[in-house]
Parts: sequence; C-alpha cells; structure tokens
Amino acid sequence: MMQKTRIKRFSLLDRIFHFFLILTFLTQTATGFSRMFFSTVWGKALTDVLGGYQTTTLIHKWVGVLMIWGFIFHTLYLLTRIDWKNPKTSFFGPDSIVPNFQDAKHLWQRILWFFGLGSSPKIGRWAYWEKFDYWAVYWGMPLLAITGLALMYPVFTSRFVQGWTLNIAVLLHRAEARLAVSYIFIVHFFVGHLRPSSFPMNEAMFAGSIPMEELKKEKPAWHDQLKNEGKLETSKVRPPSFLYKIIYFIFGYTALGFGVYLLINGIIYSRYITLH
Amino acid sequence: MKNMIYIYRTIVWIIFFALLSMLFLPSPSLGQGEEVTSYISRYGQNEVRTGYYEKYEVRPGNQRPLVRKFRSIDREPFAYSSTAASIRIRPRLADPHRGIGFYNNRRCEECHVNETHDIHTVRENITGRQCHGPEPIASIDHYYSPLNSIRRHAYVCAKCHEGASASFASYVVHEPAAGAISTRVSFPAMYYSYWFMLALLAGTLAFFIPHSLLMGLRELFGKKG
Repeated sequence: MMQKTRIKRFSLLDRIFHFFLILTFLTQTATGFSRMFFSTVWGKALTDVLGGYQTTTLIHKWVGVLMIWGFIFHTLYLLTRIDWKNPKTSFFGPDSIVPNFQDAKHLWQRILWFFGLGSSPKIGRWAYWEKFDYWAVYWGMPLLAITGLALMYPVFTSRFVQGWTLNIAVLLHRAEARLAVSYIFIVHFFVGHLRPSSFPMNEAMFAGSIPMEELKKEKPAWHDQLKNEGKLETSKVRPPSFLYKIIYFIFGYTALGFGVYLLINGIIYSRYITLH
Repeated sequence: MKNMIYIYRTIVWIIFFALLSMLFLPSPSLGQGEEVTSYISRYGQNEVRTGYYEKYEVRPGNQRPLVRKFRSIDREPFAYSSTAASIRIRPRLADPHRGIGFYNNRRCEECHVNETHDIHTVRENITGRQCHGPEPIASIDHYYSPLNSIRRHAYVCAKCHEGASASFASYVVHEPAAGAISTRVSFPAMYYSYWFMLALLAGTLAFFIPHSLLMGLRELFGKKG
C-alpha cells in the first residue's frame, strides 16, 4: 500500500486543547441545555439522565471553571507563540491567525467562486472561516466566563455592580451559549464532516497532519510558502496509525452525534423558552 | 395685682393656641374606622418577631438608575370588574386585591400569568407567597410592605441569599419581555442586550449557513481537480 505524504498542521498541544474543548463544550451544552429547557419535557428528561437539577448545576459550574483554566492556559500558550523580537510578523505574517485585509479579499473571491464567477482564492495556512471559528470561541469564552462567574456568586457580584446587572448576565450567558452551540453544531460540523472535501471527517485536528493533495488543493498559498521557505520536506510527518484512526473516528462521531442530538432537540423545544 | 393680669392673659393665650392646634389634629372619629391593629403596630411586631430592624433599611429610589418601575405595563385593560380596574393602577395599597370578586377562590397565577415564567418560579419552585407574604398581600410599594425596596433585601432576598444587599435586591425577578418596546423604557439595558445578541445570532447564522452550504454545493458539483 502506498503511503500518502502528509504535512504537519497541528501540534500535539493544539490537538490536546481541541480535545479538551470538545469534552468541556459538550458537557456544558448538555448540562446547560438541561437547565435552559428545564420547563419542557425533554429538558426534564435530560436533567434526570444527568443526575437531577442540582447535580447538573454543579457539573456546569465545575466544568465552567475548568474551561476558564483551559482558556487561561491557552492564552499563555498563545503568548509563547509570539516572536517578541519581531511581533509584526507574528501578528500579520502568513502563519498568523489574526484576521487581516487579505481575508476580506478572500471572502469576496470565495463568494464569486461559489457562483462560478471566478477562481477560488489562494488560501493560506488559515482560511478566513477557520479564523472566524477560532476567534468566535475566543471572544465567546470570556463573555461566558464573566457572566457565568457573576451568576455563580450573585451576592458577591452585587457588591460591585447593581443587582439588575445579573438580569443582563443571564441574558448574555444564554444568548452567547445558544450562538456558540448553533454555530459549532451547524457550521463547524458541516465544514468539518459533511462538505465533500471533508467527508466523512476532516482528520487534521486529530491526526495533526493533512495529506499533500489536500494541502495543494485547499491551502495553495501555504504550500507555496512552505516550498519557498524550504520547509516542505521538514514538515512531512508519518501518517497516523490505523488503531489511532479507529479511535478518533469513533470519538469524533460520538461527539458529532451527541451534538446533533442536542441541537435538534434544542431547535424542537426552543419555542417553549425565551432567549433570556 | 398687675402681675396677675399678665398671668391670666398668658393662660388665655395658651388655651387659645391649644384650641387652635386642635383644628390641625386628626379627628377623634378617625380612630374608629380601623378594626384591626394598625400597620404601624404590625410593622413593629414584625420587627420584634423577625429580628429585623430599621437599621437594615436603605434610602429609596437610588437602587435602579437604569431600571424603572413597570408602571405602564400595569395599565392594561382589566378583565373582571370596574372596581378592580380602579384598584389595579394604584401601586401603594395595603390590600390591592380588595374588591376583586371571589378573591378567596382564585389562584394567584390565574391573573398574574406573566409572573410565573421567571427563573425563581420555574427552576426553584418558589411560590408567590414565599416572597409576597400572607394576606393581605400589600403592593410592593406600600410603605410597610416587606417587598418595599428600602427593606426587600433584608426581609425577602436574604431568606435564601445569605448576605443579600440592597444592590442585590435590585435584580428584577419578574423580568419584562426583553424584546418588547415597553422594555426599552423600563429596562433599556436588557432591551438593547437582547436585540444586540439576537442580531449577532441571526447575522452569524444567516451568513455562515448559506456560506457553508454553497461551499458544499460548489465542491460537490464543481470541476474536479
């Protein structure tokens, strides 16, 4: 069997962060939905499965704090990734995940390409929708963390801000959670699993590498960049083992099924609850 | 002899002023109207019974700079009687339910429907009586009501939320509908957060769902290679 050439895309730490986020995010969605839909039949059933109202609340709080630690460690990790002697390249170079003007151009070219009005833009290491994926989570997490902590310690919070701020905190927490859940379970899952070039599963985040063909087709600018820098050979890695592949396929599809289950029931029962 | 005249005159003036002041005192017959203990005495008894005293009270009116009382919402057409309608829009009564027909046979949520959808009721099974107290249920702005904002934190909130302050008590338990136009006046912060988050949610999905679908379709039917 011919081994396909694979190029390294995510470090082990990146993948650990993503894995950690999958577990915590799904836990928070399940426990959060069981609370949000508590006045519906499905919400009550979900609450029973997860150990009752008090238990889901407790899990939600603990895992929330765990997520905050994840966010802090991830931010520290980001700071280590910045080359402080040359911060401009770190922030605006081709390997940066910071959005720039090029992304707006790519978006426009991509839309033209959808309708057959032009060729697909030469996308680099991070496509604009991947950048959006990343920063949507990155700004959503502090919002959820701050409102979540405020609601966890309401009496303490009301010493510093007026109590009616907690009304706003509930609204923001629920609305942002719904936004995150709908985005991840619809858009992120579609892009990662369902679109033809990813189907049945985009393995990059688990295997840590992508095949050479995918690199040339999906990320031509990154391919050129690696070639020009002479890193194409050094970036080659061994493909994941068959056993590991089985494990992450099972894990990925479990997470997917779990998410879609929560999403569909959330949509069905959303008419019985309000945004706040 | 001359001094005695001064004394008499002084006594006459005192009597005159005493009689004059009686014009401004409440009529003795007013005391006959009340058959139960006055609210002032009951408030005093409540202080003794609960251990709460006025030192916990705060000055009214400075707790909600951005939250107004939902007075306009209360002025809706009232279903059962003209008496009740006139009572309904008076928020400072000792017994605002007085005059409502068959009051004893009714349940709170038959009329206060919107007051049963909040988190306290739905999640924690808190009933109206647990905060609003026994009959007669005073208006929350009635001066001696435990829910008056000058003492709500100590009398009501602190029953469950230990250490609740006046600031804490400004949490709006019966939230208005966040997107309603009346909420823009009564609770603007909530109104604008709601529409901002809704626009963000709708905007993100309205852009990225078609974006993903078109990407999928293009990859499915586009030229290979």
